[in-house]
Amino acid sequence: MISLDLERVRAACPERLILWRETTGSTMTEAARLAAEGCPSGTVVGADEQTAGQGRLGRSWHSEKATGLYVSIVLRLPLEPVGLPVLTLALGLAAAEAITRVTGIPCDLRWPNDVLVGGKKCAGILVQLLDQGAVVAGIGINVNQTRFPPELEPIATSLRLATGREYSREPLLIALLAAVDSFVKILLDEGPETILRLFSQASSYVVNRRVAVDQGERTLTGVTEGLDPSGFLILRREDGTRTLIVAGGVRPLPE
Amino acid sequence: MTIEEIKEFIRLVTESGVDELEVQRGDSRVRIRRSPPPAPQTVVAEFPAQRGANNTPPAAAVNPAAPAAEEAEAEAAGSLVIVKSPIVGTFYESPSPGASPFVQIGDTVQPGQVLCIIESMKLMNEIEAEVAGVVMKRFVENAQPVEYGEALFGIRPL
Repeated sequence: MISLDLERVRAACPERLILWRETTGSTMTEAARLAAEGCPSGTVVGADEQTAGQGRLGRSWHSEKATGLYVSIVLRLPLEPVGLPVLTLALGLAAAEAITRVTGIPCDLRWPNDVLVGGKKCAGILVQLLDQGAVVAGIGINVNQTRFPPELEPIATSLRLATGREYSREPLLIALLAAVDSFVKILLDEGPETILRLFSQASSYVVNRRVAVDQGERTLTGVTEGLDPSGFLILRREDGTRTLIVAGGVRPLPE
Repeated sequence: MTIEEIKEFIRLVTESGVDELEVQRGDSRVRIRRSPPPAPQTVVAEFPAQRGANNTPPAAAVNPAAPAAEEAEAEAAGSLVIVKSPIVGTFYESPSPGASPFVQIGDTVQPGQVLCIIESMKLMNEIEAEVAGVVMKRFVENAQPVEYGEALFGIRPL
């Protein structure tokens, strides 16, 4: 296993506090602890391997050693909780931009922020709101995986599987941190409207996409009809009624 | 004095228009005071999806909000601390589907204890108790949408 060359990343972003672990339970937990201790905004916790990588609602994030990029970033933004959900869209845009910048491959975004390459997920983002308004943004990017467990095989991909070549994680991390800064700045300077517009341009899921939305106890199906001003997804269902999706796993259905 | 009786007193205050009612029975005493009505929630009305062709309100946005909010105000007068949602999102009673709920009615909770998760577009918000107390009411079903400011739990402080 080749450990991440942290000095190379630090040289590219000297102002930033970056902690790197060879192995950890979850970078989310470590970042939340640092945030509670008062670490500055932008602090990064990363790991070569996570033994308990977190997904949405108790799901795990497959975190094979040194083949993926697993980081959590602490952000302290001057936004009320009501203004924070759109941050998750901005982070999806940032991850997609970093991937495209480093690899040249185009990415799609599946609401709210799954990054897809060739229709399969190559990056996932989860944001945890902490006390005192800090958030921890967890970003996992599949970089050099050559295979996935059978249950993930049909839905997951890596940059290597998509392009046939290996990538160093350092340039990807440097590009990711720069892109997160830049999309957060857009959100703060220009407001959510710009993020919604950029997301709508970058995502094939925002309009005219037949999808199923898993809402835990029920699954809704319909055709997407754009985003509302908060960034929630508007779904026109088979009976013609419209439902606003505020959370839930979106997956494509055959047209 | 039972919760039902207290509710009855609240109804009495609401219907009679008096500003304050104090009732003593044995060792228990309750005082119900009228507070200015809460500002109407405008969040729902802002959703463009609602202005759709057939005017059917989006199921995800509207249904549970109004009655729960009214009840919440009534309960607040009955000395329950109402825990409200800071964002529009989906209410989850447990950390993962099928796991035991964070709290159940009758549980004693401590400040900082997690009561539920509200998810909004993959922003996960663990809602914590701000006071030590007993969970007396839960206003929302698992995996249901909640509005900004909607009542989630009623906690009787210890």
